[in-house]
Amino acid sequence: MTLQNIQDKLIQGIAAITAKDESSIAPDVPFHKLGIDSLGFVEILVFIEKTFNLQLIESGLDKKDFETIRSLAAFIHKKL
Amino acid sequence: MGFVIPSSKKKHYLSGCDWVINLLDYMMKQTTCAGNMSQVVLVFDSVINLSELQNRLQRFINNFPAVYGSIARDINICPYWRIPEKAEGNLKLTSYNCPGEGDLWTLLGKCVNKPFKDDSEHLAFHLINIENRKSCLAMTFDHRLFDARGAETFLKLFQQYLENNNDSAISTGIPFIAPAYLSEWIKKFLAGRNVNRKIVSLSKNPPGALPVPGDKSKEFKFRLITFNRQETQTIYENAYKAVGYLMEMPYLLTVIMQAVSELFKKRNAQADSYLAAVSIDMRTSEDVKEELFFNHVSYLFFQAQCDIIKNQKELTNIIKMQMYEQVKAGIPRDIMEASHLTRIAPLPFLKKIIDVPLKGKIATFIFSHVKKNLLSPEIMGTGIENVFHMPRVPVPPGLGFFSNYFNGRLNLVISYLDGLISDEEVNMLGKNIREMMIEIPSPPAGEG
Repeated sequence: MTLQNIQDKLIQGIAAITAKDESSIAPDVPFHKLGIDSLGFVEILVFIEKTFNLQLIESGLDKKDFETIRSLAAFIHKKL
Repeated sequence: MGFVIPSSKKKHYLSGCDWVINLLDYMMKQTTCAGNMSQVVLVFDSVINLSELQNRLQRFINNFPAVYGSIARDINICPYWRIPEKAEGNLKLTSYNCPGEGDLWTLLGKCVNKPFKDDSEHLAFHLINIENRKSCLAMTFDHRLFDARGAETFLKLFQQYLENNNDSAISTGIPFIAPAYLSEWIKKFLAGRNVNRKIVSLSKNPPGALPVPGDKSKEFKFRLITFNRQETQTIYENAYKAVGYLMEMPYLLTVIMQAVSELFKKRNAQADSYLAAVSIDMRTSEDVKEELFFNHVSYLFFQAQCDIIKNQKELTNIIKMQMYEQVKAGIPRDIMEASHLTRIAPLPFLKKIIDVPLKGKIATFIFSHVKKNLLSPEIMGTGIENVFHMPRVPVPPGLGFFSNYFNGRLNLVISYLDGLISDEEVNMLGKNIREMMIEIPSPPAGEG
């Protein structure tokens, strides 16, 4: 799966979780600016496990890997 | 071909989640001086004009007949909110003079503990003048009408109304009818099975709970813990270091659970585990106005054995994993779905059923964190200094912790039934929580 595919899937999932339009979700905006809180973030992690078969909750949830959709996509790409 | 239940223009059928809130209201009227009520408090930096506020609030509320609704059962046995043709009640706005900020909490407590006069009154406003230099507006509301976020959104709508002064447009987009949810029975029963399994697993380790005082006319007392911007920033950083990015809610819960366990220890109270029931908002930020009225909450449950409470790393990990597993298993959605089934039961019968598995101990305490609020920083030209919530907590457990952010600062309100814990114990709880939250952890060995 390419980095772009991962990013597109993440945007689809986050749009569904936040009830926002996909086009309004920019890959470089930090998650907290998208109005995502702890619960929303955990929903995203569950979406990642179901979509990419990767469980990330036990990783350090390090800001540099998790802050934006682009950084998260790169992190997933590395793990796949 | 499906069978369609007709939905009248005047009927808002209650969801299962609304019926659970009605159950809590019934239980609280049985065990305390009033029902399941809460209060949003806006603290202003100057005095607000009473008659101007009264006129504008009355005109605003006249747009919402649902505020004067009451509960009835339909021929299909579904409970619904009977909405009158017009908002015909008089706005209940009481003014008070408070001689000093020290008396403010007693006054605010009196406001939220005063029962509504009948089943069609669900809202009361209190304007408190503090030494002629500051004021605060408390909106006491029946939880059957709004949840906490809905109540904040109602005040936000009032702010918008004041800006635009347009009566006809203010309620546009708010649906006042709701379906009866009398379909997809298999889905509801499967959800019920999952919720039942969750409750059974929680009941294997009965949670510690403080004994509820026998006097059934007891009021609730409150303690507000405020954090300035710097302290709030430290709390964010501590949450990030301890649990991870965007994990403030599990972090706050960890600290509160540790502080509650200290309280149990000081009392020598026996407990195998502590159980926190956490109410969560099931709306996304996009649809708050559309789902302003009634309840849109579900619950997560966090249980920790007493012997691991002191180990912060282990406790945060357990809470984080329990949150993940419950979201993954769809527990919050299943609770919403399964609770539709409870609507058939009259409230006294329903109370008996829910008491069985946990032997009357629903949780050790309740926790809720209200998402970032949408209020503008002023109302009628007066600056808002702070906003916080004062909910009366369902009994049992009669102890709750409620956090919210306003203007970059965190507030935490401790709400407790008078007599459940003493004022000294609340002081200790507040002090411990505050210290633990803003403590700057020492760097690991070798990094300092």
